[in-house]
Amino acid sequence: MATITRARVAEGLVAPWVEWERRCPKGRRLLEAGTYALTEGAIAAGCRVFAGYPITPATDIAEYMSKRLPQVGGYYMQCEDELAGMHACAGASLGGLKAMTATSGPGYTLMHDAYGWALTNEIPLVVVDAMRVGPISGITGAPGQGEFYVARYCTHGGNFETIVLSPSSVQEAFWLTIDAFNLSERFRTPVTILTDQVVSDMWEDLFLPDADEHLDFVVPRKHNLMMPFYPLGGADLDVPPNIIGRGTGVCVSAYTHTEEGYDIEEMEAQWAQTYRLVNKIRHHRDQLSRYETIGLEDADVVAVAYGADARTVKTAVLEARRQGLRAGFVRPITLWPFLDELYERDCHYVVCELNYDGQLVREVMRAAPDRAKVHFMGKSAELHTVAEVVAGLQGVARAGRIPELPYIWTEVR
Amino acid sequence: MATTTAAKTRTEILISGFGGQGVIRMGQILGLCAIKQGHRVTMLKSHGTETRGGYVRAQLVISPEYVDSPVVEHADVFVAFSAPAYKKFYDCCSGRILYDPELVETIRADAPERHVAVPATALAKARFNNVLFANMIMLGALTRLAGLDYEAMKRAMLEVIPRFHEQNLAAMDVGYDLPVPV
Amino acid sequence: MNKLAAKYLRPSQIPTKACHGCGIGMIENWILQAIDELGLKQEDVVFGTGIGCVGRQTFATWGGDNFGATHGRALAVATGLKLAQPDKKYLIVVGDGDAAAIGTSHLIHAARRNLGVVVICEDNMGYESTGGQFSPTTPAGYVTNSSPYGMVEPSFDPCDVVKAAGATFVAETTATQWHQTVKIVKRALQNDGFSFVHVRFPCNENFGAYALGTRDTLKNLEWIYEHTQGRKADGGATDFVWETGIKHDASNSRPEFTKLLRDMNARVRAERTAAGAR
Repeated sequence: MATITRARVAEGLVAPWVEWERRCPKGRRLLEAGTYALTEGAIAAGCRVFAGYPITPATDIAEYMSKRLPQVGGYYMQCEDELAGMHACAGASLGGLKAMTATSGPGYTLMHDAYGWALTNEIPLVVVDAMRVGPISGITGAPGQGEFYVARYCTHGGNFETIVLSPSSVQEAFWLTIDAFNLSERFRTPVTILTDQVVSDMWEDLFLPDADEHLDFVVPRKHNLMMPFYPLGGADLDVPPNIIGRGTGVCVSAYTHTEEGYDIEEMEAQWAQTYRLVNKIRHHRDQLSRYETIGLEDADVVAVAYGADARTVKTAVLEARRQGLRAGFVRPITLWPFLDELYERDCHYVVCELNYDGQLVREVMRAAPDRAKVHFMGKSAELHTVAEVVAGLQGVARAGRIPELPYIWTEVR
Repeated sequence: MATTTAAKTRTEILISGFGGQGVIRMGQILGLCAIKQGHRVTMLKSHGTETRGGYVRAQLVISPEYVDSPVVEHADVFVAFSAPAYKKFYDCCSGRILYDPELVETIRADAPERHVAVPATALAKARFNNVLFANMIMLGALTRLAGLDYEAMKRAMLEVIPRFHEQNLAAMDVGYDLPVPV
Repeated sequence: MNKLAAKYLRPSQIPTKACHGCGIGMIENWILQAIDELGLKQEDVVFGTGIGCVGRQTFATWGGDNFGATHGRALAVATGLKLAQPDKKYLIVVGDGDAAAIGTSHLIHAARRNLGVVVICEDNMGYESTGGQFSPTTPAGYVTNSSPYGMVEPSFDPCDVVKAAGATFVAETTATQWHQTVKIVKRALQNDGFSFVHVRFPCNENFGAYALGTRDTLKNLEWIYEHTQGRKADGGATDFVWETGIKHDASNSRPEFTKLLRDMNARVRAERTAAGAR
């Protein structure tokens, strides 16, 4: 395997929409929910098919889509289950239309079959998982972060990489949805937007750019009209997606395939296919860096969080700095491929997650230098409070450990 | 707006009551009004399951800058529309508490100067023969108490609420004209 | 390769990986005859399939565009495709597992919506590619590798299910009825709506060997034919009878699903234009 180059970590927010915002001076300012922003982001990105099954807290996306898509010549389809929803999205995308589905954990697990099919066949589409607390149905109106690894290993069989992005505000949900569609087109792969109940249900000021014409940073759908349908072994980006219904003779299946798409049971073909699936992402990690950092130059203790939880954690870091602590903050927006380069500092890490399992923290442990100490601060069903995180950061800075706090699972690794 | 929290620029408002009282609507109007005036706004809404008679809560944070934490931990204003909500969220408030005395019959004795009784439900029944207007009466009172732009608030209300504009405006006036201790 | 195969199929994928005496190739040939008699070209038809004997044997044989979905989901994929490419004919050729077991919910809802596709359910009465286990269409009481004491469940008729769900064309035939099958597939392709064609065919290697005690192709075909007639070669009555032929024909009697959506879109956009909305 080729060596993977690491980008230098910048201070502040690193994401393509920093530039997009500058390019969109005109628009409307609204008070709207995250689900609304995800819907409008998809419409702006050129999404013309939504097929899914309603589930709290993603239902409002389905409802907004049912209203918006017919207005722009698109199609809303309410399917018999999530399997049908994501497969129909894959079908629509194969037919040449950009497609999206949205769900929560219980539906996301049902989509793994379709996810693998779309991933293997390099079919662009976007899946929103608005995470709620579990296991299983849990509490429908409470946030969770239980699908960090599920989103990475979103189908069986191994031999693939995934792109997973997580927004932490309503405005970011809008831009990030456009970004997700762009990446899905460029990498020819499904992209998961791993959001949570707080971001989807929260109302927030939202700037919607005027888009009478298409926004110029939207990657348009192109069609691959000739062989090779699958550039096996290669890592090229921007290969146009295949299309069914234009008489190209393309073959799309669940099997290990040749470059024509024929099923084959030869190891060389298996290696060529899976090198393609992993390398097109591993070799272009520089195109996938989206994150926010504060104070990494001098931090003794760095708080790490993503999604809605990063909101209170960031406030806590700023508060701790105000109190004189050398605290830093890392918010990965790209969750997968994991941005190892964000954790190169030799210091204490306090990883805050909305689960008791400790999922993100395992990756931080793997990425951080050997001498770094990684602390876990897991909470269930509610965002960390600012006070809790400040107490955690102070405890680590002063005594090397997070103090005992009610209903918070702490651990040092 | 009053700012008493650690992060100086934030104003935190917490509104809570039963489902159906228009708690979220009230938050939506407040939030939109602030956005129209150039502020950044977050509003978390949460509810217990309605069939169990749970609470509805809107947590608003208004700031000239981007709001990081959307969680109200030290409300500048707490609007209590039910006794259970008053009890549950009392500790989240370090500022003024507007309560409806018909729904919150007993208040804690430790901080009488922070409490403002707004008889919204009683006035809604008396003036409009309909308790549904209590939230707009409360909104009028809150606008006055917090020193917000009343004309802007009325415009935001008209944008958010699709129907019964005249009665809603009249209800806001009732609340705004109440004598409020400054 | 015969003339029809040369005209419509992909030479590199023929012959298929089917076992000796399998009925799949024969049925595919009859489908080609129907396509040819209707004057359809390769690019007019999208060929979709699933997993199992029928999926593996037919995938990529069609010379035009092909897809082989995950198990049971061919109709879900086809629903999305039909939205994007409404002018194509969709031949969804699947087995009894895809249609009548793992994918039944999609079958029912595609019928309910009157999705414009032709489903050819090629039924070898069990899961033969995994070694011969019973399926929902295995006749009750018969021995398979997962019903060594006879299958105790009642079997079900997918034709009844799709008819009740709203399919606009429903027919049943077998691999012993050439002319009837061609006629039925032609009629199915002429319905702008959901058409379902149930075709039973023999599996010598598993169903034949274990349920009927013979790997002889002719004996297996004969057993199927006898059950379409209700009478054995020796003159005695068979243990049950399969009624074949067109079971329900309401072709073109109600709008196709994606047309409903396109019409709704046109109405919504016209109303918005009239209202002066942006």
